[in-house]
Amino acid sequence: MAEPLLEIKNLESFYGPIMAIRGVSLKVDRGQIVTVLGANGAGKSTLLKTISGIMDPEKGEVLFNGQPIQGQEPHRIVGQGIVHVPEGREVFPLLTVNENLSLGAYTRGDKAEIERDREMVFDYFPILAERRDQEAGTLSGGQQQMLAIGRGLMLRPQIMLLDEPSLGLSPLLVQEIFAILRRLNTEEHVTMMLVEQNARIALDLADVGYVMEIGRIVMDGSADRLMESEDIKSFYLGHQEEGQRGEKRWKRKKTWR
Amino acid sequence: MNMHVAKQTGPAQIEINGVAFNAEPGQRPVLVDGCDTIPKLFQTRCMALQDRTAHREKDMGIWKSYSWSAYWDHAKWIGLGLISLGLQRGEVVSILSEDRREWLYTDMGVQGAGGIASGVYTTDSAAQLAYLVNDSDSRFLFVENDEQLDKYLEIEAEVPSLTKVIIYDREGLHDLDQEKCIFIEDLYDLGRAYDAKYPGAFEAEIAKSKPEDTAMLIYTSGTTGMPKGAMLGHENVLASMESGARALAVEREDEQLCFLPLCHILERNVSVYFPLGAASTVNFAESPETVFDNMQEVSPATFFAVPRVWEKIYSRVLVLAQEATPIGRWAFQRAIKAGQARAEYVMYGKTPPASVAATYAFWDFAVLRNLRRMLGMDRMRRGGTGAAPISPELLKWYWSIGVPLIEGYGMTENAGISTINTLEHNLPGTVGRPVPGVELRIAEDGEIQTLGLNNFQGYWRNNEKTAETFTADGWLRTGDVGKVDPEGNLTITGRIKDIIITAGGKNITPAEIESRLKFSHYISDAVVIGDRRKFLTCLIMIDQENVEKFAQDRKIPFSDFASLCAAAEVVQQIRDEVEAVNKVFARVEQIKDFRLINVLLTAEDDELTATMKLKRSFVEKKHKALIDDMY
Repeated sequence: MAEPLLEIKNLESFYGPIMAIRGVSLKVDRGQIVTVLGANGAGKSTLLKTISGIMDPEKGEVLFNGQPIQGQEPHRIVGQGIVHVPEGREVFPLLTVNENLSLGAYTRGDKAEIERDREMVFDYFPILAERRDQEAGTLSGGQQQMLAIGRGLMLRPQIMLLDEPSLGLSPLLVQEIFAILRRLNTEEHVTMMLVEQNARIALDLADVGYVMEIGRIVMDGSADRLMESEDIKSFYLGHQEEGQRGEKRWKRKKTWR
Repeated sequence: MNMHVAKQTGPAQIEINGVAFNAEPGQRPVLVDGCDTIPKLFQTRCMALQDRTAHREKDMGIWKSYSWSAYWDHAKWIGLGLISLGLQRGEVVSILSEDRREWLYTDMGVQGAGGIASGVYTTDSAAQLAYLVNDSDSRFLFVENDEQLDKYLEIEAEVPSLTKVIIYDREGLHDLDQEKCIFIEDLYDLGRAYDAKYPGAFEAEIAKSKPEDTAMLIYTSGTTGMPKGAMLGHENVLASMESGARALAVEREDEQLCFLPLCHILERNVSVYFPLGAASTVNFAESPETVFDNMQEVSPATFFAVPRVWEKIYSRVLVLAQEATPIGRWAFQRAIKAGQARAEYVMYGKTPPASVAATYAFWDFAVLRNLRRMLGMDRMRRGGTGAAPISPELLKWYWSIGVPLIEGYGMTENAGISTINTLEHNLPGTVGRPVPGVELRIAEDGEIQTLGLNNFQGYWRNNEKTAETFTADGWLRTGDVGKVDPEGNLTITGRIKDIIITAGGKNITPAEIESRLKFSHYISDAVVIGDRRKFLTCLIMIDQENVEKFAQDRKIPFSDFASLCAAAEVVQQIRDEVEAVNKVFARVEQIKDFRLINVLLTAEDDELTATMKLKRSFVEKKHKALIDDMY
């Protein structure tokens, strides 16, 4: 089997005094979309931040193309082709759309290529082309999310780490953005690691999924298999088992199998 | 223990910790403070203690106290409420709830009204509930909340004899519209009304109780076949209290923590009847998950738990120690060493030499005292363990940190207690000597048999099984195999039914091998296979927490439980553990191969008992593929 593009082994990370990641191992193959599901505080964002170098792990390894990258400075990690699209967009509000995109390509020198990529981004997100000279702060939430993804694409990443792209967006916009993510994956072969609370749409998009709870992986498998799991259905997909009284307040116990 | 002779008619009395008992244990009538049944004792206690705290329960994060008067009132309302709904003396009432004070109110209410209380595990399935309700002929069922209620609603059609379901917790059920269901407050109202109409009715019912009446049904987990309801009479329980007062003394000022299922005789004794005898205070843990926090808050004086709980606490401390600073780790190790040196003496009831005592005193002051406070064991006079074998090393570890931990042995059929080690006479590795009032012998085939007033009345409507359980001369067949040393200490080697006869014709007691395996921190439970087979193999359930930590420390990647079980290093580690155990046994008794059970089992699974022990028959059935794979 080919070497995974990104492999995480027994990672432990602290968020202040709290051990947010307690031994996580997972891998992402080239061309794959892998999703990590989990509730608030499961450690999903900490996981992404540890990969992209914003946080240093206490223990464990992050292998990118087989090389350990854990603990490196974020700019060096970006330089190797790992792009982190943070939670809550975090575009530069006072810069225009165009300037934001240029910053995404900050580490690159090839002007012509950059311009081609900019056109590609506009191709995928036509609304950004329309508003290319508008300040990013004046964009809607969905447009800002598109811009954040577009800015990430400007680096020609080998892998994109997406932190809850669906957060705070209308269902329609979420569908639109996820459709574009799928296109980026099939047409541009962008590998993605997607952290999500919206399990339905994430499993729909991803090939493989991991479920994280309080800092640990409790379940993993193909997205199809996870979709079928009773635990996933009732805890992440919101399926209600039909109770005896037609309503049910208590939840079944999780078994993760 | 403070004993002096008290004046009383009937059998001569002595006083133990302020409570009068028969001077000579094992004599009829069995009396506790002059009472010969549980409800009479309950009445005596409540009348005398009034506003003293009987129970504490955490409500919205705050511990609240509930008095003996409240205990009395609620039990009375439940008892009279049930009577007004038609409860007859000698009828069974089922209780399906986690531990909470209403459980005890119901127990006392039902018994006071002359009924028989029968607990159902909250981990039981709806189908199991149907079986228990039907088998016991219950017309009344108490359920804790909506979750448990749904079990009843699922099997409503299968339990036609049930006339009322009483719900403790109203939350989420405000618009419940079920003809047979009422809330506990409604029952209290019925009880109050009945009490107003017939004052003194409850006291009159209590006065009718006789020592030979059945007080409760305890369904035995039944590793084979359907569960059987063991009938315990008032005398059985009082006899157990009589023995307990001598071997497991509880004092009036003691705080205790109730957290194991009350359907189990162990917790029932320790949290309901012994405190009733001693007038001590019982604190209810919020949930099985919060036991360790609650323990710290309550800091109980005595604490009886199953080995699994003691193992968990130990693992937690080890993990904490490993995460401490280097100086902290060093100090911890030194302290444990000093503690172990002292334990060599104190756990055998000997006085340590002055130098050992002095070193210990220093490390106790510097480290161990804080550790005990952190664990909520700073006031613990005595820890107890039973219901499953425990590793002698683990016992020693607790003695090392200054927690005296003793092992005992009992079963439902002898009201939970037959032998025990005491602080004064302790021989780790054995389950101690018979408690006062209980006689013990080893039959020719090695079976342990006991005789005492604590021996149960028989199985509910199952004379055949009852007859099988008693010998011709009236001794209880425990079904356990064991040996007694010259000093009278009992060692248990296994279950008689589980004896494996290999294809080579060799008799093997799997429990001996299994408990050795379980002493490994990485193995939570094991089932040895090999009946009518060429060699022995075994299925192993790993200890999730410790093995995860093992994998983490050695950088062994894993994601979920199955992948942890599949990791080559983990399998190798377990193989090493198995090999180490094999060394102790003869060739034919050695494990040739093993498999790990790669699903994380919960108490809801058929393969586990409520106390998280593997059930041989179910394991053999459910994991047949794994077994066949080894042969």
